[in-house]
Amino acid sequence: MQRYPKIVRRNGKRYFFRFSLVQRMQHIILFTTVITLALTGFPLRYYNQPWAKPLYEFFGGIDIAPWIHRITGLILLALFLFHTGYWIYLFFKNRVGRLIREKALTVGNVIKEFFSMEMIPNKKDFYDLIDMFKYLLFFSSRRPHYDRISWKEKFDYFAPYWGIPILGPAGVALWFRDEITQYVPGIALNAFYIMHTDEALLAAIFLFFVHWYNVHYSPEKFPMATVFLTGYLSEEEMIHEHYDEYERIMKEEGLELEIISQNH
Amino acid sequence: MLGMIMNIDINNSLYGVCPKGWRNVASACISGGLLYMLLMFCGLGLFSSNSIAAAADELNCVLCHKYRGLSRIDEKGDFRLFYINQGLFNKGPHKRIQCKDCHTDIDKIPHDPAKDVDCTVQCHLTEPSGEEKFTHKPVAEVLAKSVHGTANMDEEEIEYPEDYPYCTDCHDQPLYRPLSFFKGQAAGVSERGLSRCKTCHQTGDFAEDFYNHVTSRLQKMRVSAEIVNLCAKCHGDGKFQERHGLQGNVVASYWETFHGKAAYFGSDATPDCIDCHVVYGENVHSIAGKDSRTSATHEANVAATCRASECHANAGEQIAGYQVHTDYDDPDKYPMQHYMLKFFKYLMAGVMYFFVTIIFLELLRRLFPNFSFFKPRKEIRQTTISTAGNE
Repeated sequence: MQRYPKIVRRNGKRYFFRFSLVQRMQHIILFTTVITLALTGFPLRYYNQPWAKPLYEFFGGIDIAPWIHRITGLILLALFLFHTGYWIYLFFKNRVGRLIREKALTVGNVIKEFFSMEMIPNKKDFYDLIDMFKYLLFFSSRRPHYDRISWKEKFDYFAPYWGIPILGPAGVALWFRDEITQYVPGIALNAFYIMHTDEALLAAIFLFFVHWYNVHYSPEKFPMATVFLTGYLSEEEMIHEHYDEYERIMKEEGLELEIISQNH
Repeated sequence: MLGMIMNIDINNSLYGVCPKGWRNVASACISGGLLYMLLMFCGLGLFSSNSIAAAADELNCVLCHKYRGLSRIDEKGDFRLFYINQGLFNKGPHKRIQCKDCHTDIDKIPHDPAKDVDCTVQCHLTEPSGEEKFTHKPVAEVLAKSVHGTANMDEEEIEYPEDYPYCTDCHDQPLYRPLSFFKGQAAGVSERGLSRCKTCHQTGDFAEDFYNHVTSRLQKMRVSAEIVNLCAKCHGDGKFQERHGLQGNVVASYWETFHGKAAYFGSDATPDCIDCHVVYGENVHSIAGKDSRTSATHEANVAATCRASECHANAGEQIAGYQVHTDYDDPDKYPMQHYMLKFFKYLMAGVMYFFVTIIFLELLRRLFPNFSFFKPRKEIRQTTISTAGNE
């Protein structure tokens, strides 16, 4: 796998590594499919709104749009499976492999390693949340010192990662409604319908409002945060959003003396 | 007189979209009325040679009824239009029926207000397969015995006789409906099909007329959404549903299903009311209530109805358990749907209120980035920063 330098310099500024090419590609597939699914799905949910019919016609109307929706859905499901395989691969390669080398391979250690993965919520996230409210409510002027993945980013991550297993199979079941009723009672179709459309609404509103606020609308990001393309985050953004990680990397790279305080 | 001529393009007045008083223009045309206008022309007969006069119009009724403005306000205050569009009439199924076959009480010109048409009278047309005079009576009998008729009810049981439909309540404007389509297939006269008929039937318009007559029975006359709107005239009315002890707003719940949404977007391959409520292959007039053993929606028959060859042919028996007319606001009847929807609503409300609050506070915080009610002493603040990396 390609090695990425932790810090690169461009035009006299430091940039910190965040996402590898494979991860950035996964994100691009994720958001193109999700947007396409939303555009071909919501006109059906809100069929009697004035925008629904023109939008649906744009995607080919009732004969074509459902097929675009289904095929895009399959791509998203494939991405979900790939991503699951991807983190399991990394987990074994990096963590289980190390345990084997250190001859410390026990069930307990594997579980411990699992819960110390950077995406898994932990105690620090809880304290960060408290720090954040202290800061937001003017009780403290110290910003929360997030590590590599903040609790917000973990939420962003698990929104689709729990959303897809709910939406996807329900969508497939509604697609193959005839065959599925040979195994499950018909009322399950009613349940799949609610699961599919209402989880989709939750996902869409969260993504297009909260996630896009974080990466598009918020004053310092507008019009667009570029980390999803470049894979690197600027020093200023690191200080604001990942101060713990910033300090750690600077120390690792021998740049302790150049660490900038958060309230500079 | 001519001031009453209104610029109405009936050809384009799509069925079902015009206001109530106008909906019955076609039946009004046929049912006749007083001729307050144009009387003097009738006696003269000067305008009787009309190039597209109906073939069956021996009595020359179109002499007067060809005028677009022929109309009046009747005793009930409804606008009545008595104009006959001959071009459309000649394409319709009643082309060869004389006006007087249906408007039986008219026997002089100018005539008095005509009675409503009774579709069960015999016409002067002989039904070719049985050599008997033709009538719609057998259809009316089937309808009378169905859930839409009162033939099987005791007199005391009939509470709201005016609610039961008559032929023209559904078949209100067959003449003015636009070109129809059978599910997915273009309708109309196939020139190639017609050429086979014409090999033998060479005289006049015989081939066209009979080909039209036969194939019009095989065409789906209305797209799914039109059928639903037709049934909704009664079943979309909450008071009507209540009067007859029928469940909830079945029209609204239909529109919420995939069937309904596809119909809304113009699909003519999606099922409408008739496709599920009429036993597959049976007369559409024979719809029975769902408690009747012969009903397509009786619980013993639902699976067979869903699994009809053009629909969910590969589905299991259990497809019958799918609840089409779900009312999400009714926790007693549809508890699963009601509480699932509630769960997602509360989940979304919780997530969104939480994050919108944070976004709001963040925006507010940006205005005073370094302010704090509790100023930490300088040394504590220093310590916090220098140890932050070791947390």
